[in-house]
Amino acid sequence: LQGYLPANVDRRESTLQRKRKEYFAFVEQYYDSRNDESHQDTYRQIHIDIPRMSPEVLRLQPKVTEIFERILFIWAIRHPASGYVQGINDLVTPFFVVFICEYIEEEEVENFDVSSLPEEVLQNIEADSYWCMSKLLDGIQDNYTFAQPGIQKKVKMLEELVSRIDEQVHRHLDQHEVKYLQFAFRWMNNLLMREVPLRCTIRLWDTYQSEPEGFSHFHLYVCAAFLVRWRKEILEEKDFQELLIFLQNLPTVHWGNEDISVLLAEAYRLKFAFADAPNHYKK
Amino acid sequence: MGSADEDYNFVFKVVLIGESGVGKTNLLSRFTRNEFNHDSRTTIGVEFSTRTILVEDAVVKAQIWDTAGQERYRAITSAYYRGAVGALVVFDITKHQTYDVVDRWLKELYDHAEASIVVMLVGNKTDLAQAREVPMEEAKMFADNNGLLFIETSALDSTNVEEAFETILKEIFHKVQKQKQRSSQSNTVSLASENPSSTAPAQAERRPCCVAL
Repeated sequence: LQGYLPANVDRRESTLQRKRKEYFAFVEQYYDSRNDESHQDTYRQIHIDIPRMSPEVLRLQPKVTEIFERILFIWAIRHPASGYVQGINDLVTPFFVVFICEYIEEEEVENFDVSSLPEEVLQNIEADSYWCMSKLLDGIQDNYTFAQPGIQKKVKMLEELVSRIDEQVHRHLDQHEVKYLQFAFRWMNNLLMREVPLRCTIRLWDTYQSEPEGFSHFHLYVCAAFLVRWRKEILEEKDFQELLIFLQNLPTVHWGNEDISVLLAEAYRLKFAFADAPNHYKK
Repeated sequence: MGSADEDYNFVFKVVLIGESGVGKTNLLSRFTRNEFNHDSRTTIGVEFSTRTILVEDAVVKAQIWDTAGQERYRAITSAYYRGAVGALVVFDITKHQTYDVVDRWLKELYDHAEASIVVMLVGNKTDLAQAREVPMEEAKMFADNNGLLFIETSALDSTNVEEAFETILKEIFHKVQKQKQRSSQSNTVSLASENPSSTAPAQAERRPCCVAL
C-alpha cells in the first residue's frame, strides 16, 4: 500500500530483492562520507537525535541506533532539498516496528533484543524501512524544506477548517490568543506521533496508507477531529498558559484502537462534509 | 487573558535558545517540574512551560518557551521571540562548537526581539567538568563584553538552575520597575509594548493597582 511493492504478485519478490540491493548500494556509496566536512553537520544532528526519538522503546539498543543512523543519513543525502529535519527521525519507527513484528509477537517488542535476529533479516528490515519512509516523505516533502511551507500551509488550513466545524472552539482559542502554530506545528511535523502512543500511530498510519493522499491531505481532517475531540476541556480552560500546556500535552497515554477508530470516523465525516464543499458553513 | 486560578502580578515571557542538544529542555523541566530526563525527546518547533515564583514582593509567572535548536526551525522559532522580555542563550561547556555559535544566536535574537530584552548566557552540563572544552573565564569575559548575564549550570545535578532563572527574572523585574517609574507620567507600564493587553501574553501586568507605588 505504501507504493513500495508492485501490484503484480509475481513481480514482488524480485522487486524487493532489487530495492534492497539498491539501498545497500547507496549505503556503500554514501555512508563513508558522513564524516566529510560537507555532511558533518547532518550526521552530527542525526547522531544526537537518535537517542532522543519518540517512542523510547527500541532506540537504546546499539544495533537499532546503527540502523536508524544509516537510514536517516542516506535519506538526507539523497534529498538535499530538505535534508534531515528533526522529527523525520520519529517517522522511521512505525515501519521498523511493523517489520520487526513479522518475526516476533507484538507484545514482545518492548523487551526484544533486536540483535538476536539474523543479520540478513535485519538488513531486509532496514532496506524496507528506508523505502517505506522514503515513499511517505515523497508525499510531504514541502513539510521539511526551507521555512517548512508545507506545514505553514497545513496549519492555516486546519485553522480555517476548525473555524467552520466548531466556531466556538475556534473563537475560544482566538480569544485567549492561542495560535494554531503553537500546538499544531508538531502535529504536522511528526504526523501526530508525539501526541498518541506508538500502537495508535501504527493504526492511524494504516488508514493513511489506504487513503489517497492520506499523509498529506486526510491527515488534516484527522487533526481537526483530534482538536475538536478535546472541545470540552478546551472550553473549560480560560487561561492562555493552561490552554497551551494542555494542548501540548494531551492525555492520550491510555488510548487504544477504539479511540483511533472513533477519531477516524469523525475525520471521514468531516472530509465528506467539507472537502468538496469549500464554502459549506463558511461565513 | 481571562481569569486564572492563580493570582500573579506579572507574566514574563522568556525564551530558551541555543544549539541542538545543549540541554535546553532539561533546564526547563528541572526548573518547572524538578525533573531530568537522560534521553528527553528532541524539541519540535516550540514547547512551553510555566512556573510562578516570588520576586521580592511580587508574584511573577515565568512563561518559558523552549525552542528547537536545529537550523531548519529558525524560520518558525524566530516568530516566538516577539514579546519576550528575557532570553537564556544556552551552550554546552563540553562542546566548543555550541559556544562558537553563540554570536549567531545573539544576532538572531536581536534581529527579532525587543532591544530591551534581558539576556543571560548559560554554560550547561557542569556535571561533565572533566570533559570541559569552554573555560569558564572565557565565557564570562564574553558575557561581560556583550552586556549579558552569565552563569554555569547543570540540569542533571540541579546546580544553579534555580539561580539562573531567578536571576534573570529578578533582573527583568527591576528593569520593569525602573521603566515604570520613569514613565509613570506617560502611563506606559510595559517594557515590551505600549499596550500590554493587546500583545498578551508578552508581559502583562495583572493588577494595575500596583502601579501606584
